[in-house]
Amino acid sequence: MSRKDELLNLLKDELKGNFLAASSLEENRLFIDIKKEALVETANQLMRAGARYQMGVGYEARKNGRGLAMVHTFAFDADSLLVAIRALTTEDEPEFDSLTPFIPGAGWSEREYIDLLGLHFKNHPHPKRLVLSDDWPEGIYPLRQEVPYDLMPPAAEEVAFRLDEAPPGSSIIPFGPFHACLHEPAHFAVYVDGEEIKGCEYRGFMVHRGIEKLAATELTYNEIPFVAERICGICGSVHSVNYAQAVEAASGLKIPRRAEFIRTIMLEIERLHSHLMWLGVAGHLIGFDTVFMQAWRIREKIMWLAESLTGNRKTYGMVIIGGVRRDIDLTKAELIKKTLAEVEKDVQALEKAIIKDKSIHRRTKGVGYLSREKAKEWNLVGPVARARGLDIDARRDHPYAAYDEVKFEVVVADSGDVWGTLVVRIKEIYEAIRIIHQCLEKLASRLQGSPLAIEIEDPIPAGQQGLSVVEAPRGEAVHYVLTGDDNRPERWRVRAPTYPNLQAVPDMLLNNKLADFPIIVGSIDPCISCTDRVAVIDRRSASGRILSRQELEKLSREMRSKT
Amino acid sequence: MWLWNKIKQLAIPSRTGVVTLRYPYKPRPAPAGFRGQPVWDHTKCIGCAGCASNCPARTIFLRDICQEIRILLYDSSRCTYCGRCADLCPEKAITMSENFELATDHRQDITETMELFMMTCQRCGRCFDLEIKNALDKLQMLGYRYDSLEARKVIRQSTPELEPELLEKTATYRRPEKLEKSPCGKD
Ligand code: SF4
Ligand code: SF4
Repeated sequence: MSRKDELLNLLKDELKGNFLAASSLEENRLFIDIKKEALVETANQLMRAGARYQMGVGYEARKNGRGLAMVHTFAFDADSLLVAIRALTTEDEPEFDSLTPFIPGAGWSEREYIDLLGLHFKNHPHPKRLVLSDDWPEGIYPLRQEVPYDLMPPAAEEVAFRLDEAPPGSSIIPFGPFHACLHEPAHFAVYVDGEEIKGCEYRGFMVHRGIEKLAATELTYNEIPFVAERICGICGSVHSVNYAQAVEAASGLKIPRRAEFIRTIMLEIERLHSHLMWLGVAGHLIGFDTVFMQAWRIREKIMWLAESLTGNRKTYGMVIIGGVRRDIDLTKAELIKKTLAEVEKDVQALEKAIIKDKSIHRRTKGVGYLSREKAKEWNLVGPVARARGLDIDARRDHPYAAYDEVKFEVVVADSGDVWGTLVVRIKEIYEAIRIIHQCLEKLASRLQGSPLAIEIEDPIPAGQQGLSVVEAPRGEAVHYVLTGDDNRPERWRVRAPTYPNLQAVPDMLLNNKLADFPIIVGSIDPCISCTDRVAVIDRRSASGRILSRQELEKLSREMRSKT
Repeated sequence: MWLWNKIKQLAIPSRTGVVTLRYPYKPRPAPAGFRGQPVWDHTKCIGCAGCASNCPARTIFLRDICQEIRILLYDSSRCTYCGRCADLCPEKAITMSENFELATDHRQDITETMELFMMTCQRCGRCFDLEIKNALDKLQMLGYRYDSLEARKVIRQSTPELEPELLEKTATYRRPEKLEKSPCGKD
């Protein structure tokens, strides 16, 4: 019996009447509908069976009964299985049980929908106002259907985000929203005791663009890839491929093998670009500008390569639902091979010159340490997780595109610090080059001349769920699509790798020196834009109870009545 | 060891030399297949609206000012140069040019307008025959928008201070209906 059937039987037995339905369009996906009373129990069962929590998706259901729905997705990495559980509630009673008390990584996902959908989560440890801007009026939930996508309530004055009190004995040093060590707007209030960091509070949501709402109200299926790739300035193909895969899975489309190989090549070129860029940034953040200059010089070659392949310096504009738009023919393959040979040589030279440099060791070894257990608890993904001994990689664990046919090594380090991340990312550059060579060989030998995309003849059926993962350079990105009418998805949810990784930053910062703040935050390669398609705030990691908004309001009212 | 590393680091730039291009003094031609600014060939366009209804950035606008004249306006300021319009045009009236030096103070410099004279079909009185499966059908007219060219500021701008005019304008924006019962259980 496969793992999927095992799980299904287990849940059916345990949940009895609370189990509603299960569907599985694809071999490696399982979508389960349950009654909302059983949400916590089901999640518990799945976690006990060895799942890794991925994300929560909230939406307002229009089909199969009206109401508000909450989906939680889980990954079984050893069995290449993704499971999504969905529960529905009525609009009169928008409450679910919170998973956060036993899955801390679910905290942000749930807080997102408190703000965007007006949901309530019972027992959520920290339901502070989170996602929306500080002056957003109460009672307007942007993801609700009746709210137009372009609503712009007038700004209110004299509202500011209420930062928590610093723990006793420490003072606050603000970083951001605009700061030389942050490349995108985000605010970190760092608690320090002397030079030592004692925790931090994070306030994001400064580059929220409402892309998911736009997709659900304005855009059509084949327009979304071009918006999806612009979620991120670096992981363009990651998001467009991921979205396309989710739609293809939901509608049962089978795309040509050739297109899958081309997608794989684009994803790996993107990885080369991202790793080299990060290497440069990391060098810059520790004040080692030789690395910065040289890594970015090498990266420029990749950008020119992308320009020849896609028509622009970024890896944008290649993907549509059903395949790809541009071919990689033999002349282009030659160009790729030539560029890769140069890049490999250059990276080797650079690696040799810096890898034994003591100044790098001193700035990265033991910095931003997080144990394997903590990393697991926070559901870390990507090089940040692999540097902490977690052997996960969506390319191997949940093969998509053409990854089932290529051989590569998943690089894992166990130092648990920034140094580990650096080593993992440099080694992955060579693996990416290996993967591209294998793809080019297969393209040339047996896939010449086959079509690039299939034509979509029938309309995409409504009400189907699709779940897709792509291992972005920074870690696993997850897309969830629920198909809808009007030639557009009813719900499309994006979870970028920075989303789980950023949640662990306060833990990574703990007891480090303030001077290491830039490189620790930089080590997860935070992509604020990806994360902030909806906003996020983190609770501080230093101990101490945090008042919820309601509690705070109540307290301040009491104080006022006393005076 | 440390010194040896520093020597190696010094060797890299001396080997590679200067890599910075002399741009803009020496122009850098775009490679083949470059996606620059799209240009329209008015002799080929049949005014089918395929480009307008499939532009992800919604930056091609169409308006029929009378039965015979259709205006197509392309506003480059929001174009993402994805090339989707050029892909989908059944008449290949759009080419992605090599022009990427588009920075300007005047939006008009990068805006293109076409006035298309539309023939009326003698049989049905409309511009196109929609009953027969043809290239136009494949474009799927879904999402076709009858846009107002004057009010093409679809993306609303926010300003640091709220000016009175803007405030007045925002008052006319569509608002969500007041929920009868607050879904939070709060009032
Ligand atoms: S290139 Fe893309 S964004 Fe620009 S007009 Fe054409 S379809 Fe629209
Ligand atoms: S798709 Fe081509 S033919 Fe149709 S309106 Fe646009 S430019 Fe003209």
